Amino acid sequence: MVKKTFLALGLMTIVFPIVAFAADPSGAMLDMGLNSLWVMLAFILVLLMQGGFILLEAGSTRMKNAGHVAGKTIFTVGLAALIYWAVGYGIAFGGANAESAISKFIGWGDFFVNPGTSGDPASESYPSAVFFLFQLAFAAISLSIAWGGFAERAKLSSYVVFTLFYIAIIYPVVAHWIWGGGWLADHGAQDFAGSTVVHLSGAVAAFVATILLKPRIGKFNKDGSANEILGHNQVFTALSVLLLWVGWFGFNAGSTVAIGDGFFTYVAFTTMLGAGAGGVAALLISWAVTGKADITAMLNGTLGGLVAITASCAFVDPWAAVVIGLVSGVLVFYSVKMFEKLKVDDPIYALSVHGMAGIWGTLANGIFATQELADKVGVGTGGLIDTGSWKQMWVQLQSVVFAGVFVFVASFIVLGIMKKIIGFRVTEEQEIIGLDLSEHGAYGYPEQLKKPGQGIQG
Amino acid sequence: MSDPTRSQYAKKIASADQIDGLRCLRDQLHEGMEALLPSRPVEQLNEGLNESHDALISRAIAISEAEMARKGKGSPPVPYAYLLFGSGGRKEQTLSSDQDSGVVYQDSDTNREGIKVYFTELCTLIVKNLITIGYPPCEGNVLSDNPEWCHSLSEWEEKLSGWFMEPEWEVVRYLLIIADGRCVYGDPALVDSLKDMFFTDTLNHPVIIKRMTENTMRHKVLVGIFGQLLKERYGEDAGSLDIKYGAYIPMVNSIRLLAIGANLRETSTLERIRRLVEKGTLSSEDGESYEQAFRFILRLRLMTTEQMENGLYVNNGKLPRGKLSREMADELKSSLRQGKRLQKAVYKGTMGRLM
Repeated sequence: MVKKTFLALGLMTIVFPIVAFAADPSGAMLDMGLNSLWVMLAFILVLLMQGGFILLEAGSTRMKNAGHVAGKTIFTVGLAALIYWAVGYGIAFGGANAESAISKFIGWGDFFVNPGTSGDPASESYPSAVFFLFQLAFAAISLSIAWGGFAERAKLSSYVVFTLFYIAIIYPVVAHWIWGGGWLADHGAQDFAGSTVVHLSGAVAAFVATILLKPRIGKFNKDGSANEILGHNQVFTALSVLLLWVGWFGFNAGSTVAIGDGFFTYVAFTTMLGAGAGGVAALLISWAVTGKADITAMLNGTLGGLVAITASCAFVDPWAAVVIGLVSGVLVFYSVKMFEKLKVDDPIYALSVHGMAGIWGTLANGIFATQELADKVGVGTGGLIDTGSWKQMWVQLQSVVFAGVFVFVASFIVLGIMKKIIGFRVTEEQEIIGLDLSEHGAYGYPEQLKKPGQGIQG
Repeated sequence: MSDPTRSQYAKKIASADQIDGLRCLRDQLHEGMEALLPSRPVEQLNEGLNESHDALISRAIAISEAEMARKGKGSPPVPYAYLLFGSGGRKEQTLSSDQDSGVVYQDSDTNREGIKVYFTELCTLIVKNLITIGYPPCEGNVLSDNPEWCHSLSEWEEKLSGWFMEPEWEVVRYLLIIADGRCVYGDPALVDSLKDMFFTDTLNHPVIIKRMTENTMRHKVLVGIFGQLLKERYGEDAGSLDIKYGAYIPMVNSIRLLAIGANLRETSTLERIRRLVEKGTLSSEDGESYEQAFRFILRLRLMTTEQMENGLYVNNGKLPRGKLSREMADELKSSLRQGKRLQKAVYKGTMGRLM
């Protein structure tokens, strides 16, 4: 049998010599193919994180809003794809204005992206299409983080309006500053996969939304004490963390956008350590402080660990990844308490998990980044511990402050004007019956919830 | 209440012959007590308060008996004892404790059905009258008008041995309730007989103490590993401390377990501690520190939030943040540490392992 096969193959090569030689690609072609596959896989993983956000937001809120929460996530991802294609990508990565000084602050060109059907192995390490998809997935994640601040009380139309502005301008500008060759990139800002670009930006937008929307009905009492509005499904919330966690390997490790020498596996490794440490620290601190090992706190801590390690996953040693995660877990726990004290209603804990942990993760580079890894990635320098210099810390602080202030002001303008013109929050009655009914006409759990007026005449 | 007013007050109760009159006296008790709370030693206060409650309840029972007679149902056909359980049994009632009660009556060879009917009707009347006076009924339905808690002595004996045969979770709770039972009205000898049965059975079934431990340890002392108070985090009571379930009940439970194991018939926690020291179960240093901690917790318990709901005095057992001064918070923390130490020691003693 084996003999026959070889004989047949031998004959084939004589008859059709071209088949044997044309299938042998160049090293560069192989390299590009592998990179594309990896970035494509990473894009799929990051897109699937939206499933995590659906479960996270739905699980942390009440039944009456579940259908709305889930449906609007899918809808806005689709809308974001169109807007990022038409405008956003060009603002973040467009190079038509590269010669002018304005390119420090905003990119231009590549609107209505047409990436071409394939890449050129001689000059590119992956085709443009896959890079576009990967970047789009990040923009959509940042947007879904912002929705945490809208939860359970914003009108559906406000989601549409905010998606337009956030994906076309606000997010791309920050992405351009740090990743698109903008002024913070020139300073050597280290934000490997987006603790600042993706997470902090989303959280700041969420913060603006909670300020403008005010707390949900029933969250705070007249005397200022807070009520606990429990989410309707803790299993959803736990599953969401697993989905996000898995997706995060596309998010962080995928951000190498190359197979190369296998550096992406090291990035995945530090990511795993950071996440584990965040969850463990949060569970322990909640148990020590409140006397109960709180599941929500633990889940938030795990996510906080992931958010924090996102900026530093490619720049730090394993021990530092553990420290970054541990600190993040504790930070998120206290941050949740602090926002509650400030009477900021944050149903999904986005401000703590993505905001506070995002700030911490970005600053952590200034402390823990090593010179060796900074050289390997080719961005910035080592942090305080390795080099004894505050230089990198200063750059990191700039990223946090300027990105934070920009997103705050821009979101405030967009949402503030929208609030004046078309309104932001549903009416009291609509909020009480739930957004499933008021915005979409049917409950996500029709058997559990009765429409008002139903059942009166049977 | 100073002693002359106390005896005067007792006389007024004894001479009341209407439930409405008792209600007025109960309301007066509240006004008097609230004024005294800050100044008096807690034991004295507690004693006075519980004497008054006992007097009010006894008088209400006597009036109910008379009411039965007026309705032509006659007087009690056999001797009986009216039992208080829970805080009433432990002589630790606050200004707003609810009713937990039961009845044991003497066996008779004749007219058993008639006797049962009489006591059922009497107890229904008593519970109703006590509600009128402002004592809310027990939420768990441990009430004399519940047929499960109103039996003749031999029926109780049967019931108890059944419970000891199958000590499932709910039953163990009943046994713990019986342990705190005390005669407030009627023939104390009947209660003594009931308690004799209870203690004989308990000592014959050593496993029961373990089950009792498992049943009570879920109420944890509300002090964290940093020595901080674990306060309510959410809702109307945010910032307040659950004195009832986070301080008082854990100590009561632990001391009760020790007392049952040592075959002590006392029902009040402070008396139990004293007797445990006498018997050598507790060292005198431990006894003293537990006693001191418990007295302080009793005082705070008298200060917890009270409300009037539909004419009933009720209490959520929680102490609002504002009522707790810095010195009191410090003393509470050290009292809670004692409570935690006690709980751990009892757990280790009965279960043979750390919690």
